[in-house]
Amino acid sequence: MKSRKLLLPLLLLGAAGPALAHNPMCECKPIDGEQIECTGGFSDGSGAPGVTLDVIGYNEEILVPGKLGENSKLTFKRPDGEFYVLFDAGPGHVVEIDYADIEQ
Amino acid sequence: MSKAAVAPQSPLSRFWHKWRFHLNILLLLIPLGFMPKYFADAALFRGDSGLGERELGEIQVGPWSVQLAELRDEAPRADGPAGYFKAFNLALCQACIPEVKAAYLRIGKPRSLRAAGTIFFGTPYRMSTGLPIPLKTRADADIWITLEGWDGSMHQAAVPLSKASPATVAWLNKQGGK
Repeated sequence: MKSRKLLLPLLLLGAAGPALAHNPMCECKPIDGEQIECTGGFSDGSGAPGVTLDVIGYNEEILVPGKLGENSKLTFKRPDGEFYVLFDAGPGHVVEIDYADIEQ
Repeated sequence: MSKAAVAPQSPLSRFWHKWRFHLNILLLLIPLGFMPKYFADAALFRGDSGLGERELGEIQVGPWSVQLAELRDEAPRADGPAGYFKAFNLALCQACIPEVKAAYLRIGKPRSLRAAGTIFFGTPYRMSTGLPIPLKTRADADIWITLEGWDGSMHQAAVPLSKASPATVAWLNKQGGK
């Protein structure tokens, strides 16, 4: 009986993939013309609620300091001029999206 | 002597009964074919065969110097919706180990320390990172190493991508420059 109890965990262990890095990812798209909606997450499928997402001008001025909501999304008004979106899940775990890559 | 149980055997069954011993020996031999790759990988990850498959040698970054290497001499690997990544290894020089707080890698010059790219993690003698390779990366792009010191200083150095990873440039060219 004991070996039977062990069978399932062992099978699950075998099914587990190799430990892959969970790389940060972020996607921004325009909604209703003026607004931009950004969705953050990690490549292992997990969401990123509460993670910092800043909109920064080319002069390094932070235009929109934000945090992703419970649904890992943040919506903000498209700033004028040149800017980039920085999804910041900690040092070295960032994704930059240039304004030119957010289709109008 | 009971002869009752002797049923006529199919050719397949006869073949199996005649050769099963030898077939099982063959089964034991199959893993041997994978041994060279296994030992090559073990040596690569343990560092016995160097920092990576393609070493770039010593690179001066301000007052410090690092060794950089491509983990594998191959095209970037996909990581689902996060895009394509290329693994690099880095070793700090002996004298910089106590001075360097963090090392980052990015395609193109970083706008700020906050956006310095992907961070290297691991022992200072062998740190690793996965560099995201956007599909629209230009073949003449540079990769930038950023070192952050405990004293707050920041030093950078650039290496042409074509030198750091020819396999990545070949892969980018094949993607048709999106």
